Amino acid sequence: MSNESVLGALLDTLVPASEDGRMPSASEVGFDAFLVTQGEAVAPALQAILAQLGDDFATLSAEARHEKVTELSASEPALFAGLLAQVYDCYYQDDRVRSAIGVVQGPVFPQGNEVARGNLTMLDPVIENCDQYRYREP
Amino acid sequence: MTMSEDVVDVLIVGAGASGAAAAWSLSDTGMRIVCLEQGGRVDPGDYPTNSANWESRAFGSFAIDPNVRGLETDYPINNDDSECAAVNWNGVGGSTILYGAHFPRLHPSDFKVKTLDGVADDWPIDYATLEPYFVENDRIMGVSGLAGDPMCPPKQPPLPPLAMGLVGETVARGYNKLGWHWWPSDSAIISEPYDGRDRCLNLGPCMSGCSQGGKSSTDITYWPRAVKRGVELRTRCRVREIAVDDEGMAKGVHYYDENGDEQFQRAEIVIMACNGIGTPRLLLNSKSSRFPDGLANRSGLVGKNLMFHAFGIVQGLFHERLDSHKGPQACCILSKQFYETDLSRGFVRGYNMQISRGTGPLSTAMAGFMTGLIPWGKDHHDAFEKRFDHVAAIGIVGEDLPEEHNRVTLDPELVDSDGIPAPKITYKYGENSLKMIEHGLARGEEVIRAAGAYEVASGGPLRPTGWHLLGTARMGSDPERSVVNHWGRSHDVKNLFIIDGSIFVTSGGVNPASTIQACALYIADSIKKNLSDLFD
Repeated sequence: MSNESVLGALLDTLVPASEDGRMPSASEVGFDAFLVTQGEAVAPALQAILAQLGDDFATLSAEARHEKVTELSASEPALFAGLLAQVYDCYYQDDRVRSAIGVVQGPVFPQGNEVARGNLTMLDPVIENCDQYRYREP
Repeated sequence: MTMSEDVVDVLIVGAGASGAAAAWSLSDTGMRIVCLEQGGRVDPGDYPTNSANWESRAFGSFAIDPNVRGLETDYPINNDDSECAAVNWNGVGGSTILYGAHFPRLHPSDFKVKTLDGVADDWPIDYATLEPYFVENDRIMGVSGLAGDPMCPPKQPPLPPLAMGLVGETVARGYNKLGWHWWPSDSAIISEPYDGRDRCLNLGPCMSGCSQGGKSSTDITYWPRAVKRGVELRTRCRVREIAVDDEGMAKGVHYYDENGDEQFQRAEIVIMACNGIGTPRLLLNSKSSRFPDGLANRSGLVGKNLMFHAFGIVQGLFHERLDSHKGPQACCILSKQFYETDLSRGFVRGYNMQISRGTGPLSTAMAGFMTGLIPWGKDHHDAFEKRFDHVAAIGIVGEDLPEEHNRVTLDPELVDSDGIPAPKITYKYGENSLKMIEHGLARGEEVIRAAGAYEVASGGPLRPTGWHLLGTARMGSDPERSVVNHWGRSHDVKNLFIIDGSIFVTSGGVNPASTIQACALYIADSIKKNLSDLFD
């Protein structure tokens, strides 16, 4: 088995596709290309993780993969948390993912967001009880 | 070293919240004013929200912690002996570049805590003294809010309030159920086009900089006006120490320019505007035979009485979607229900409850991983969907009383990239602060449940929350018990002024930026009014 297939299996284990098909798996969002943008710093950590999982990782059942990654997360917590942050960073930048969870695609500027102005008549009880809320004069 | 014979009238050290305000105020005098800023200007095109990876970039070169950013323009801060980690931004605009822009004012009672509650000291000035400067500052900065809050003296923000959104409305319902005070926050974010700037676009992560310019950081408010009126702003110029002459007057500063070359700038007046850590750092590093313990430190109080504000947070999870990640994260509504002293609560003074919105998807997922609430694997999507955009939070910002053992000193080993000693923070939360936060967290849980949250988590005081750097060169009328007088002039060095949060006598229970800037405008105005006998 190649590193590629082990990585793909790891990504599918960390963030599998949703059963309803709405959310892609982490192996479908261009993690390879993302890694290139992260520079040299990430590669050694990723290689260390892939080596620990072993070449046969991709051939294991989903349950066995989950168990093996759980063991890894316990034995190498910092390494694992670093990898997961990279995977989530890539995953939650993906246009399909963002569209599914209601986040603007691409840079948030200059698109921005609409926010409900809110109903200021909700302040009526505060105004009616203003004597109760008076600030303290020295 | 280049020794310039060029003498400027006013030399301001630091181009942040206070330095910018003073530079603008003094610029109508015709005096020659130079400001030295150790950092550079941020190009709005560089802010994280210009990129798809805006969330992860906020943890890198735009992180709030200078020790994480590690930029050449930053100085390291030794927080090892501190229960709170100091955060800042070094550059034009100072920490207004990354602040949340929550912009309440201190209350009138905050200036009289000794008289009212028998703790700490009264300020030598009062709210009424600062009131016109609050108004002027709101106008220049561009502040959104709603007049009529019964918990504050009357005021009229220049712009209507920011959108409350579903988060604000939902939490407000909880306050109304309990009969507690709440009000739309005063925010240094423009809700409508103002002064050549376009309105806030509700991008969300204000605390990694505002690409739109809707947030009122001083690089886009005060500085363009000040520079237009002739103030010279020199960036990438890091001051090492303030020099004094034989008469004990400040004669200028030694600094390193962008190339690392040492320069000396002479000045008639030196104004320190480097925040509650940077200012004592430079004063303590300015030792001479006349001032062996550091400049302006005959009281021994330079660096002491550091106050941060104890900060805790309550987070509620709601069944309904609240669009939590949309809109200014730190500015929504606030409550002053527990702001003023009530001794039956078991502590003096009080706190502000600052309702804030939620985080983006990456932060949600990683926080969920760290707390175990959003697992990786097959259950990830369901857990994520349940939490993302379904959250409202209440920050508890508690008044921190001054204690001399909480202090800034010079680290004996750690230095910045120019070899200048780094500050070392020694800080422990007081018993009063801890009781206050405990009370605030309990009340926060109460109100967020009343608002409909079905799951609540809370914690505090939290460590990486040292935004508010206060008290380390306090104001007062007694030279034995304070560093500057009632208008910011050093008791010991009569042409040295301090205008940043260092001069706060007490911290109040709200974010201090508005009051810091009002003080800076007041001191600048006092300088102008006293020009004829400034050094008497």
